[in-house]
Amino acid sequence: MLWAANKPGETAAPAYVPDPPLWWHVALALVVALGIQATLAPYLAFRGATPSLVTLLVAWYGVRTGMLNGLAFGMIAGSSEDAIAGSTGAAWTFATGFAGLLCGRLARTWLADTKLALVPGAGLITLVRYAAFCAMLQAEGRPIPLPLLHLHVALWQSALDVAIAFVVLRTMPWLGGSDAHRR
Amino acid sequence: MAAAIALIQLDALKSGKPSLLTVALDSVSVYAQDAAAFAGGGSRGFVEGIANAPHLAQQNGELREKNAALRSQNERLREALAQAPEAQAIEHLRAALESGTLATVVGFDPEGLSRTVTLDRGTSVGIKPDDGVIDDEGVVGRVIDASPASSTVLLVTDGASKVPAVVQRGRWWGIATGTNTSIRLEYVSQDAKLKLGDVVVTGEGRSFRAGYELGRITRIDHPEGALYQSAVVAPSVAFGRLSRVLVLAR
Repeated sequence: MLWAANKPGETAAPAYVPDPPLWWHVALALVVALGIQATLAPYLAFRGATPSLVTLLVAWYGVRTGMLNGLAFGMIAGSSEDAIAGSTGAAWTFATGFAGLLCGRLARTWLADTKLALVPGAGLITLVRYAAFCAMLQAEGRPIPLPLLHLHVALWQSALDVAIAFVVLRTMPWLGGSDAHRR
Repeated sequence: MAAAIALIQLDALKSGKPSLLTVALDSVSVYAQDAAAFAGGGSRGFVEGIANAPHLAQQNGELREKNAALRSQNERLREALAQAPEAQAIEHLRAALESGTLATVVGFDPEGLSRTVTLDRGTSVGIKPDDGVIDDEGVVGRVIDASPASSTVLLVTDGASKVPAVVQRGRWWGIATGTNTSIRLEYVSQDAKLKLGDVVVTGEGRSFRAGYELGRITRIDHPEGALYQSAVVAPSVAFGRLSRVLVLAR
């Protein structure tokens, strides 16, 4: 069977060793990220979009720990965002949980071969999470006003997240984890 | 854990009320946001103070002039009120004493996708969904969600916001819809003679009584052959520096 993570010529499942960060580091980072976004969002906005530090954190945790932990952490982070946003029902809960799950899966692909795995991953995950968020809102029966404007904002948010992920991983390469969990 | 969170949130979605998890997280986060907003506001104010120092003297002079003008206007209005018939005076008094709850803006939509703000007051002081929110400049929005310690306000500039509105000069009705950065006055009758600078106020509706200022018309779209005309309205509230607001119960 061919795995998404295979290098050319490989047929076995790739070895994957989770490399979880300390739980309280992650909890503290989540509180800080939520605090920054909830209190400074309008001041961080660029062309109407605010970088999503929560998405970056979930993506990072998912890549470091795998699918199930990514899903659980994503749902916790998403629940917090839903609680603060107030008008989104449980859309961020499921969208962010899905993003964490996907990041855990991405960790088993070729993306994990580089310490900058989060850079392309961050952009992709931001867009996927936004799509899941829109789908959840529709399922909840909440209309999405100005969808084109929202798409524009999501694209800029994705670009901002890529830029932040790149800068952070270049300046703090230890965040990418040890090489032990790479293939 | 993920399954438990999912079940709790789905159960709450079904019942149409915020889940216990959401309420708990909301209640905890509002204190953190309050503290962060306080710290953020202090540091911003300090930096702005240094940056604006050269303009402060000029601003001070302008404010003194404005203050003098307002004092004189206030005296004239007091005199007019004293001379008005008794019924009119009672009406003025009622309007002036309209009950409201003072609240402070402590947070924003974390993802910036919707124009919402979080207030530090909730159902414990009587705030409930659909209450109108104003500040000293005009209409801010309406409460869409309230928990014991906080409430969420949908700003009038959000795309989902729709408020019945009236052009003050001619009493022409329309619907004020948010465009994320400004307000669009739609469904205005074709025979309305709108002018740039016209003041647009709220009409009697679910969240507001009539007469709260929404903004001023900055552009008019009057297409030939269309059933209605529309206009772009610049909000009278500076949403970038929103801080203290008044929540009006209906």
